[in-house]
Amino acid sequence: MTASDLFGAAERLRRDGPGLLRAFVRSHRGALSADLRFEVMFSRSSSAADGEPRSALEGESAGFCVSVCAGEGSGASGAAQTGVELGRLALRSQPTVAAIRAALEEAYERARLGAREKAALLRTLGARGRSLADAAAAPREPVRDAVPAVYRCDPRALAPDALGRLCHDASARVAELGPEIAYNAIAATSELREELFIGSDDTLISQCFSFSQGDCYVVAQSGDGHQEIYDSIGQQRGFECLAEGWRDELMPNPDLTTFALALAGEARDLAAAPVLKPPAGEVTVVTDPHFNALLAHEIVGHPSEADRALKMEAAYAGRSWFLRSLKDSEVGRRVGSPLLSACSDPTLHGFGHYRYDHEGTRGRRAMHIENGIFRGFLNSRETAAVLGVEPNGSARASEVFYVPLIRMSNTFLLPGETDPRAIIGEVERGYYVCGSAVPSIAESRENFRISARRVYEIEQGRIGRLYRSGSVIADSKEFFSRIDAVGNDLRLIAIPNCGKGQPMQVKRMSNGGPTLRSRARLGGG
Amino acid sequence: MLACERDLAAFEIYCVSAENRVARIAYTSDIACRGVEELKSHGADGFALRIVVRRNPHEIGIATEAADLSVAALRAALARARGAALVDPHFPGLPDAPRPRGREEVRASAAASLMRGGDRALVESAWGAVRGALAAFAAKPARHPERPGLVLGGDVTVVRDRMAIASSCFNDVRAEAGAHFSCSVTALVESLGAKGTASAFGTMAAEMQRVAARAGGEAVARALALGGGERPVGGNYRMVFGPQPVAEILNYMVIPSLTTGAFQAASTAFHGRFGAQVMDARLTLIDDPGAARGAIRRRLTCEGLPARRTTLIEDGRLVGLLSNFYDSHRLATDEHRADKLGPLGPAEVAFPAASGYRLGETAARRFDAGPGTAATNVIMRARGGVSERELIRAVGEGIYVGRVWYTYPINGQRAGDFTCTVSGDSWLIRGGRLAVPLAPNALRINANIGQVFAHPLGVGNRAAPVLVWGAPEAYYTIALAARDIPLSAIQASQSSME
Repeated sequence: MTASDLFGAAERLRRDGPGLLRAFVRSHRGALSADLRFEVMFSRSSSAADGEPRSALEGESAGFCVSVCAGEGSGASGAAQTGVELGRLALRSQPTVAAIRAALEEAYERARLGAREKAALLRTLGARGRSLADAAAAPREPVRDAVPAVYRCDPRALAPDALGRLCHDASARVAELGPEIAYNAIAATSELREELFIGSDDTLISQCFSFSQGDCYVVAQSGDGHQEIYDSIGQQRGFECLAEGWRDELMPNPDLTTFALALAGEARDLAAAPVLKPPAGEVTVVTDPHFNALLAHEIVGHPSEADRALKMEAAYAGRSWFLRSLKDSEVGRRVGSPLLSACSDPTLHGFGHYRYDHEGTRGRRAMHIENGIFRGFLNSRETAAVLGVEPNGSARASEVFYVPLIRMSNTFLLPGETDPRAIIGEVERGYYVCGSAVPSIAESRENFRISARRVYEIEQGRIGRLYRSGSVIADSKEFFSRIDAVGNDLRLIAIPNCGKGQPMQVKRMSNGGPTLRSRARLGGG
Repeated sequence: MLACERDLAAFEIYCVSAENRVARIAYTSDIACRGVEELKSHGADGFALRIVVRRNPHEIGIATEAADLSVAALRAALARARGAALVDPHFPGLPDAPRPRGREEVRASAAASLMRGGDRALVESAWGAVRGALAAFAAKPARHPERPGLVLGGDVTVVRDRMAIASSCFNDVRAEAGAHFSCSVTALVESLGAKGTASAFGTMAAEMQRVAARAGGEAVARALALGGGERPVGGNYRMVFGPQPVAEILNYMVIPSLTTGAFQAASTAFHGRFGAQVMDARLTLIDDPGAARGAIRRRLTCEGLPARRTTLIEDGRLVGLLSNFYDSHRLATDEHRADKLGPLGPAEVAFPAASGYRLGETAARRFDAGPGTAATNVIMRARGGVSERELIRAVGEGIYVGRVWYTYPINGQRAGDFTCTVSGDSWLIRGGRLAVPLAPNALRINANIGQVFAHPLGVGNRAAPVLVWGAPEAYYTIALAARDIPLSAIQASQSSME
């Protein structure tokens, strides 16, 4: 069997799946809806460490998740999901259909169990249980569509050692930089996915994606100093974006070797640089697009996720500074400078691109902040109904066997019109903060401390001394409100590892922004 | 079949059947909600094949296969493993060790109810947590305005897995099965600006239902006791770190540094300090996969080797490291190992590969994960420990921190600097007593692990179980009192939630 055979399994389900789901809902008492997500993936990955090969893996996988909503006599309803990894069993129609039927039955029974428990609790709570009254999710228009992947080098057709040679070469050249490089690890992945979404309402969507990603980790030491840096590049393209680099206005990347060498050089420079001893009080900070990617991610993107705003994530990841209650939110209110705008847009060809989310809703640009005014959230069908808005197609799962959660796509701060060199040139005394490292945030992201890779002094408009271990500390609204310059240099950064949910779902997306200037305090080492 | 393949010098087949079931709690008194958001599961069966090619002892190939455990699937995996084979000069061969003594399956009876259990117990547990919380909240109606702002979050989770491993280096097939549950409930009372939490884990279904109901009530009770918190100014404080903050700091800052991999990568916070005094002499840190009350029970690692108790820090001295088979050999053969371990490091570097696990995003074993290093039941205990009341008295004037979150190595792992936000369950200490609740999100800790563990004011005498979100380990940690911990005030924001 060749690797491409597993992709034929999706074809059979495309033909048989809709009928299977319709029949299931019709034949099960109280079943309100059922969705099936099915995915086939082919993946190659390799890694090298300290100039030597470390691992290589080629794999093909298949799996699915069924979601069922079901009610019981009193009107209470429950929701449940069953996720299964099928592997090569997906090559055979009968075991695949049998597994899907069994999962549907299991999810249905779970949903009914949950509905009965809820009904029992409602009987005891009476009026105190008003918030538990069932609300229908926002409706979905049935849709049929097919979206191909875009790539030049098909991951399935790559020479088996192509990724390995690239990683080995990059790691060896980094190690050759000298004894200051104490350790390096380089990894690369290229994969092809086909997702199938089938709804009991006749929705049938096929989406194919090609992802390629390179990861670099370097530890440098110099005298008493040391520095670790980790960073990634990636595109929804084939291996060509790692081997040759990628030219793109918004999200360019060099080839993996060049990227790794630059990262190692930076780590070496930082290991030899002094630790930042920050001044007391606020200073002028100019933050570069890479730093602002983490700002967009943590302070705009996550609190713009409607499930977080509606307090569904309170136990794991906190709430949102954009919404205190349904009657007290920042929607329509100023949260930042008139120069500040931010959005999520899955239609852009970044790492977070898609056409439909995992509820079968078409993804579209969602404005979060427009000229400093907060406009709205990323949502799902359930949360859109609670908020009384249209769904914007933001419910995605990191793997097919997980439940869709509200996730960022390409979430970024919009560019302005100012040359970043002019933004720096206007600063009499301040700091230029480059590259993001680690975030520390208050529970609703109303306050943050984000560490940077490099911090430079700015004197009379000129970039001066380099420091390490610096971070930016601010109240979120104050920082946004004091933005007085926004650059024209928007860049998106591939983020391969945003974690959310229980169990944890690690998702790829893009974040970014242009150069910004504001006021904040600095933290040091 | 594999033994007949002439080009293979050695092989290993690792099989796993694993499942993760989660009932997620999501209740809000003032916003439409489901109460229990969903019951969901993820099942993953499969195997991983590793082959060593006869022409070169360092040439290794790997392939994985989901769901299909047939000979045909094995043949397909073998072809892929051959195609992906590469030469790693540091590859030490496949693990080789005698079979551990004892029963075939670890404490099967202890976890049998969870291994066999269906959905009913899990659904009832989750709704039981909601019931318990609502009952505790309703018991104090005089304190609630019209919009109480009660928020409940968390989950009840059951993790179960079975593992079998066969190797040309073993003369037997080694197998193990296990299951455990975890329950975590967070309650916010937004009208009071308060947050309380409760959590538990164990190995029996009946216990799960009991503790879930109790956790719901406890979380709410704690939140109700913490209303109207104060927001102190920043500065250096004397503090009691409760068991949860100690577990968070261990999980994110200490345990990742106590592996052979971290020492070999020169990224450990204890670089050059093996054998040295790295914590207060009263403190001991152990990983114990066989702990009598541990939620995680392992007799075998995912490399088929004996899972052993590892004393990491004994009386404050760094004496052991967690390791998998590859990393043990990698460090032992590293030409810079003397520098990396330090002057007190052992002349003969031999850290047992007693912690090689193949885990996914949950604590369950994964068939397609490579052997990494993980702890199991992490236990911190102390000599001469005292009660929390004594610790609070020793602090005199300061802060009791019951819960932190977003704990990260702010300047890289090796620096040992960390930052986290005090997110709930915390108090101001005045006159040696818990005096006034601390408002959640009022303080950020910016410290170094040395400031916490090197010279504590006092150490606790009781290790409490603690869940750390996203961690595969179970923690059992004491409380600690410390001095001069830098805290920065998070000013009441223009966007304050309270």
